[in-house]
Amino acid sequence: MSSDIIRIKNITKQYDEKTRALDNLSLSIKKGEWTSIMGPSGSGKTTLLNIIGCLDSPTGGNIFINGTETTALNQTELTRFRRENIGLIFQQYHLVPYLNAVENVMMAQYFHSLVDENDAIEALKRVGLDHRLDHVPAHLSGGEQQRVCIARALVNEPRILLADEPTGNLDQKNGDIVLKLILELHREGHTIVLITHNPQIGDMGQNKVVLVDGKINAKKLLLGGK
Amino acid sequence: MFGRILRKSLSKRKSRIAIAVVSVIMGAAIATALLSVSMDVSEKVGYEFRKYGANLMVVPKSDTIEVGFPGVDFGSVTEQRYINESDLWKIKTIFWRNNVLGFAPLLYQVVSVGYGENEQNVVLSGTYFNKDVEIIEPYSSEDDTVFNTGIQAISPWWNIDGSWIDNPDDDKSSMVGVNVAEKLDLKIGDTFTINYIQNYEDIQNVTLYELIVAGIIETDGNEDNQIFVNLQVAQNITGRIDKVHTVQVSALCNACPVDTFASEIMEKIPYVEARTVKQLVSAEMNILGKIEDMMFLVTIVALLASALGVMTTMTTSVIERKKEIGLMKSVGAENKRIVFLFLSEAAIIGVIGGIAGYVIGFVLSQFIGMSVFSTSIAPRLEIIPIVIGISVGISLLASILPVRRAVSVEPAIVLRGE
Repeated sequence: MSSDIIRIKNITKQYDEKTRALDNLSLSIKKGEWTSIMGPSGSGKTTLLNIIGCLDSPTGGNIFINGTETTALNQTELTRFRRENIGLIFQQYHLVPYLNAVENVMMAQYFHSLVDENDAIEALKRVGLDHRLDHVPAHLSGGEQQRVCIARALVNEPRILLADEPTGNLDQKNGDIVLKLILELHREGHTIVLITHNPQIGDMGQNKVVLVDGKINAKKLLLGGK
Repeated sequence: MFGRILRKSLSKRKSRIAIAVVSVIMGAAIATALLSVSMDVSEKVGYEFRKYGANLMVVPKSDTIEVGFPGVDFGSVTEQRYINESDLWKIKTIFWRNNVLGFAPLLYQVVSVGYGENEQNVVLSGTYFNKDVEIIEPYSSEDDTVFNTGIQAISPWWNIDGSWIDNPDDDKSSMVGVNVAEKLDLKIGDTFTINYIQNYEDIQNVTLYELIVAGIIETDGNEDNQIFVNLQVAQNITGRIDKVHTVQVSALCNACPVDTFASEIMEKIPYVEARTVKQLVSAEMNILGKIEDMMFLVTIVALLASALGVMTTMTTSVIERKKEIGLMKSVGAENKRIVFLFLSEAAIIGVIGGIAGYVIGFVLSQFIGMSVFSTSIAPRLEIIPIVIGISVGISLLASILPVRRAVSVEPAIVLRGE
């Protein structure tokens, strides 16, 4: 139990009387593990990821991340906790359109603590974008935008990376580049929680969780990952 | 980094920001123009009123004896008294001396005027036209010791054909009322004779005096039936050296009640009575008050319109940038950072709008000054911080609701695209 970086105990997310996104769900993820979350649309995958990422709160149950009960934190404390511990990778990249690649990464530094342009450039070099530093999102391809998003998630050195279908909007070639990057990060010791519809990607980690109607339908220990 | 985000976010949305800035400019310009005019208007309107004559009349105190017997009233007999010309400088030594724009003494005498075959009884009025009065004991050591005054200063609205008598020592020239000139067929440059009979029972004691017509006066008032000469000339003809009947005083009364003027003059020259022309004074005060109220209301309406403009723009901005706000929150921005970002944008809009509004408002104030008061409005630097402060304040206030909306953005929802 002590090596669990994420421990979810009986969480429920009820939007209204008829809509229950998560239903008494429990899950533990060990430090450094890659956990893939799969399931049909509306099964509660994104809700679960948002709750782990402190972007949303459950209506019942408890979550412990890195020893902190995040369900006991208020909104401001959740924001602080998120920026210290969690990196987010979105399917839609969500870059600020008027900031260039470096500035998009620096923005995460700014809201985290101190801005260091060299560190931001290093993060972009790491994702292979050293030739696109001053390009705004509109001048970057989808794969490049996703790599900026990954650099932004990495720059503050979070313990946990949450990725919501990171290759969902990318072609095969760019999807492979992004996936390779995530594999590298996993090998370096980051805990990865990744939503995917792709069974091959789903089988890459140590755990695969399949959600149906807000419940864990199947949980599988895999041999993949590092 | 905050500066970069702010700069780029503003430059990315130039047209939206421009709309908000224009809204602020309109409010700031109107506030500047009306503040400038308002600060000047009391003075300007005061001066405008002063063009229409004196608002204080100084006369000697007189003892009046009622004449008659029970049931029959024959009126009253008043002993003729005078004010000493040598005391007039004291009018300029009261506390509100700087608001004394001018004064003119008047010594009246009915004389017989002859020109050619025409002869007519006319009131001869001796006065100052353009006289340097020596202030023997100034109120303060910083005060001027000479005060230039006369009928020209207090009655600039008189229509003059010909010229004023500018030389106070000129004992030959006269200014003739238009009715007198018409009856006697007098024209500019003509010489006429006045006869002053000092004692009706001693016909031998007649003073004859020749005068030249320097100007013809038209005021549509009593002045049209009089002949004006330098005070000294009237005093010499009538033998009333150093005497005057009344003094007309033109006082600018915005901050001070005109009654205070009157009582202060009576303190300085105890044997006189100073009477205010009440109707004129209250009309002045009434109009000034109404002008200021109207300007205040127009300014408030203009600023409200500005606030609405800024609020609309900021609300649109928040709606358009919901995803950006959600993203900032998701990467760790606390609400106070979001608030600071939007309020900084609002403050910049306020500062730019305030500065531009001041410049435009100043031009507008000149237009108002020239078209309404026929004079320019002095630039007042103290208005700049006031207007910028008001503009920033309006922008910030107008941003409160939009900013609350920004703070309530839930990143999980907006990033999901709902």
